[in-house]
Amino acid sequence: MKSTNSRPPMLASWLVQSVLPADHGAAMVGDLIEEYYERCESTSPASASWWFWSQACRSIPSITKMSLLRHDRLGSASIAMSVFVVMATLKVVVEQVLSASHVLTDSKQIVLAPMIFLATTSIAGCIARLIRRGATLFLALFVLVAVIVLISIRVCTIPVPWWYELTFLILGPSSVLITPALIWAIHSER
Amino acid sequence: MLISCRYFFYIIVQMKRGDTLGSLEYVILLALMRLNGVGHGTLVRQEIERCTGRDISIGAIYATLERLEQKGYVSSCIGESTAMRGGRAKRLFRVEAEGKRALQISSQTIRDLTRGLRKRWQAI
Repeated sequence: MKSTNSRPPMLASWLVQSVLPADHGAAMVGDLIEEYYERCESTSPASASWWFWSQACRSIPSITKMSLLRHDRLGSASIAMSVFVVMATLKVVVEQVLSASHVLTDSKQIVLAPMIFLATTSIAGCIARLIRRGATLFLALFVLVAVIVLISIRVCTIPVPWWYELTFLILGPSSVLITPALIWAIHSER
Repeated sequence: MLISCRYFFYIIVQMKRGDTLGSLEYVILLALMRLNGVGHGTLVRQEIERCTGRDISIGAIYATLERLEQKGYVSSCIGESTAMRGGRAKRLFRVEAEGKRALQISSQTIRDLTRGLRKRWQAI
């Protein structure tokens, strides 16, 4: 082996494993790691990492579809919807309490809103993952749809640049998927 | 005209049986057959790349293998885990008798449809 110190990209591995059901996820990431080390020998670690990332990114559409079409999808979707409703209600309550206390100016609200949103989606992702692994993918989908709807009906009355709304669109589903994947990966490594 | 009708009904019968294979399903089953009927995702992916030059994503391979498993064309079992795989177990896929049958039908269909086309290809 050319470089024994090189390690496969962890974020890409977590991303693949968070989207897939447990049995397939471990096997697929194992396959990617196996070929990654083969490529480290034949080419270079940088080239192998590039290949790993490209495989992970190209695989996500196929494995997302595969996960959504599995036989237990109705149960997973129901769990995701329940978690989504509970966390959305909680988020609205927190925002109402903060705005009722009159401590929030527009500028403060612009800074605080993404933080509350990220915290809510991350917690929701962890709860869904705790109940059922497959539910996180449905939850990410629901969050994506909800953000698109909220942007299109212009729920935000404060004028904000386009990239501010785009941040919600990208970070929402990502935090639902990545936060539980990171926590579970750190927990399993211990 | 008669031949066209024959093929039309042939395809309908195959669809009813669920024997028709998609192009990626066909390629993956052939790759598995080339691996003596048993292999895991990496081997299948590498075999396809070696033979055809197509760089198919591992996700597409697994999604197709799962579909083939649901159709009963392949079966899977958990293999050994090694340090080279980060301690993760392999998922081994095996071509079943139904899969071989579907592969034979699809191969026969392609052979029948491409018969006599050589002159036309040369003309192009």
